[in-house]
Amino acid sequence: MLAEVGTLTVGLALATALYAAVAALRSLRQNDPRWAESARNGVLATAGLLGLALLILLAAFLSDHFEIRYVANYSNRVLPLYLKISALWGGPEGSLLLWSFLQALFAALTLTPFPAASGGFPLRGRGVGVRTSILSLITAFFTGVTLFLSNPFVRVASIPADGLGLNPLLRHPGMIFHPPTLFLGYVGLAVPFAYAMAALITGEVEGWTRAARRWTLAAWLFLGLGLLLGARWAYDVLGWGGYWGWDPVENAGLMPWLTATAFLHGATMQEERRGFRIWNFLLVSLSFALVLFGTFTTRSGMIQSVHAFARSNLGPYFLSAIGLTLVGSLALIFWRRRLLEEKRPPEGFFSREGLFTLTLILFLVITGSVLVGSLLPTLTEALTGHRFEATPDWFDRVTGPQFAILTLFLALCPVAGRQKLEARRVIPALVGGAVAVGLAALSGFTRPLALLGFALTGMAMGTVLTEIVRDVLACSRRERENFLAALAVLVDRNRRRYGGYVVHLGIALILVGVIGTRLYLLEQNLNLAAGEPAQVGRYTLVFEEIRQDLPLNDRLPTWAVVSVYLDGAYRVTLQPRLEWYANFDQTVAVPALWSRLREDFYVVLTGWASDGGAATFKVFINPLASFLWLGGLVFVAGGALAFWPSSASLRLTVSQARRRALWNTLGLLAGVAVLVAAGVAMWGPGHGATDSPSGRPLPGQSAPDFTLALLDGASFALSGHRGQVVVLNFWASWCPPCRAESADLQAVWEAYREKGVAFVGIAYKDEEAAVRGFLEDHGLTYPVGLDPTGRIASLYGITGVPETFILDAEGKVAHFYIGPVTADQLRAALDGLVR
Amino acid sequence: MAGKGKFLFAGLLILAAVVYLMITNTGSTVHYFLTIEELRAMGNRAVGRNLTVSGAVLGDSIVYDPTIPQVTFTIVQVPADPKEVKRLGGLAAVLHAAVNNPDAPRLEVVYNDVKPDLLKHESQAIIRGRLGEDGRFYADEVLLKCPTRYQEAVPEQVEGR
Repeated sequence: MLAEVGTLTVGLALATALYAAVAALRSLRQNDPRWAESARNGVLATAGLLGLALLILLAAFLSDHFEIRYVANYSNRVLPLYLKISALWGGPEGSLLLWSFLQALFAALTLTPFPAASGGFPLRGRGVGVRTSILSLITAFFTGVTLFLSNPFVRVASIPADGLGLNPLLRHPGMIFHPPTLFLGYVGLAVPFAYAMAALITGEVEGWTRAARRWTLAAWLFLGLGLLLGARWAYDVLGWGGYWGWDPVENAGLMPWLTATAFLHGATMQEERRGFRIWNFLLVSLSFALVLFGTFTTRSGMIQSVHAFARSNLGPYFLSAIGLTLVGSLALIFWRRRLLEEKRPPEGFFSREGLFTLTLILFLVITGSVLVGSLLPTLTEALTGHRFEATPDWFDRVTGPQFAILTLFLALCPVAGRQKLEARRVIPALVGGAVAVGLAALSGFTRPLALLGFALTGMAMGTVLTEIVRDVLACSRRERENFLAALAVLVDRNRRRYGGYVVHLGIALILVGVIGTRLYLLEQNLNLAAGEPAQVGRYTLVFEEIRQDLPLNDRLPTWAVVSVYLDGAYRVTLQPRLEWYANFDQTVAVPALWSRLREDFYVVLTGWASDGGAATFKVFINPLASFLWLGGLVFVAGGALAFWPSSASLRLTVSQARRRALWNTLGLLAGVAVLVAAGVAMWGPGHGATDSPSGRPLPGQSAPDFTLALLDGASFALSGHRGQVVVLNFWASWCPPCRAESADLQAVWEAYREKGVAFVGIAYKDEEAAVRGFLEDHGLTYPVGLDPTGRIASLYGITGVPETFILDAEGKVAHFYIGPVTADQLRAALDGLVR
Repeated sequence: MAGKGKFLFAGLLILAAVVYLMITNTGSTVHYFLTIEELRAMGNRAVGRNLTVSGAVLGDSIVYDPTIPQVTFTIVQVPADPKEVKRLGGLAAVLHAAVNNPDAPRLEVVYNDVKPDLLKHESQAIIRGRLGEDGRFYADEVLLKCPTRYQEAVPEQVEGR
């Protein structure tokens, strides 16, 4: 039943979308407001119907309707609620339905009297009709593809008892936010495209950028956030220590983001100087074409990518849509070329306008480079018959220098004057660059390429910070306000400018992270026995043990306990996991992460010996990785600031002001929610890092002193045994491995006590009677004392019993053993210490 | 109009520089994409070049020594052309046919890294590396996808470089 209702709802949505497109055109033809009203109703109905279809699919997921193939393929009975929700877009069919719904929703939003949406653009007039018609056609295209080629409501022939469950790699909180955020970005870029085409068709080529810019800003912000969340997901889940691999699907998201960034700058220039008209039409059309290219990449199966959906029947439809978009928009631009001509001769290279032009060119060339790299196998095959493919290195080397120049522009553009760039205004950038180089060199980043990169990002930050401080000082002097109030006034008056500055700052911070992680990544494979310390850079790792849980729903988690020491001091305990999913016969490595501003210490468990006594790890040290996520949050905050409607220069009636206040409050709440959600998704509730009260003294470090009351009434003070080799054995009477090693300890003690080796057993949080009984049963005669509160155990940072420390004559730790120790191990160690 | 020409010139200059970057980097970082059959046809000329080879993984051939770590496995010829794959009934069918065809050309792969999660019978491996003098293929990177159960694979591509 649900399946049929779902299909029917999508079908109706297609009909209403097509109707809205036709009705909007008729309203233009006949100039009849009733047709316009009817078109608007059609758009609203489409959004409502597609929303309903999504809810029906959600209901099918929540009530385990496995007769629907999509539900059976992406969910099962034990899947937790939040994953059932994210499974809605876990596969190609559902994600296309979500896409269609968002497209319809955005089309509807352009028709609401909502100042943030319309940008003050009139809701009546020829432009609205064209716009509505174009957006409805785009909605109809996606709805039609969903219905006929990729319907999520298709039934299976025989109903399975349970579904397959969601792909283990998609079971991450980031996956709830990442796809919808990215889709909001993609879908949003259709709106400025519709505005642009409407402007070309109606010939009103000047005012359109204001509304289009606001929409682009929102879409661009979501796209950026989606890319960041995707990078964070890759970092958290995929266990290769990286976050960006220049995969064609990642590139597909980056390219429209780049062109949209260029458009935001072009639109600013058009509003300032009435130029850049052709640029802006080109950039908006290109952005939308690249969005279509992105869906084509993900869904056609024609581009080699490992995280593309393997489908091939959608390809031709999307290719046709891309072709139509490009040819149509170029033809319109050509047709209106007389309206678009620049009347004014352009300024020099180092004027504001000149630098902006160069920036736009650079954005286009970078986008082109990424496109060439993504298409290289397809292109070379068509041209030469052989496939060549670009590796991530190729992308790094080709785009790296371009991004470097772009960063230089980031430092110069904000201070360029109308006619020229004054030398004195570049001074803050130079100071910023020098400071950044100094800081980097002091922190040990001394490779020339890295220093060049840090210098450029420092220049960008220097410019932006100086501009903000200068403006705040001037405003505070002028208005006689304190600095904070001055900042608030400035930001409220010119959100675009200061939002832009904050975005620049965020981008510079992200670039710092990129430079650190790309140039200084340290990667090492380790094969460790339990208790054997290993050195990686300044870190020491001690693998403690393997732990395994009972099978949990459909997965079996196994994790390693690893304590991490920095410069010999215990810092944190990490628990990298391997989760085995029976349904998929797939093991997923969940890395553990100890993140600091300086660098991330990232451990992946890659395997373990069946007795749990050894394990293999992959360890990454990712310098400055935190700057990626920090910069990401700054970027999002800056974008939100720029998007926020300014209250300056508006005269409102009381009811308008009240409505505006309501919308502002709602918007603020939504914005804060998105930021918090993004923050949580990026940093998450811990990444396998837990704290122990303390760590062990590592080999070579002094053993902490203690005094222990022995059972025979004597007292054992460690400091009294300087000059002697000492064996400390932490144990408990209830612990089976302790029982196993007791005979070996006794034998070695008997053999070595004559050679001056002191033995002491420390019974960890134990009862005196039980300990005495144990000693008697096993015939143990070496000195034993009680540590009832675990005080001594915590001095030695033990994580379980038994553990054994061997101290040399100078009172330093020579060896330690986690778990039972054998006579052979003890003899070997003691022979090396006793002369 | 000299002003406009100036920007056109600058744009072309940037474009030329980037094309130069692309071409100079092609030698070292662009990989020649081959099927196993084509690799065999190249003979000794293939030794030492940057190559990408794709094939179907033979499950029984996977040997993993986690202590080095090193994994060795054998891949079997599959066609690279998407149209050809489609004609033969899709990737899953092609991979299945390949591993059950004893006459198809094979290639032994040595990968000095941790065994990737998705390395299993009938998965499609795309391998970047170089052919050794000994006829074995030494991989720098192993990309995998398992089309049988899940169309939506995830980026395994940079796993362990």
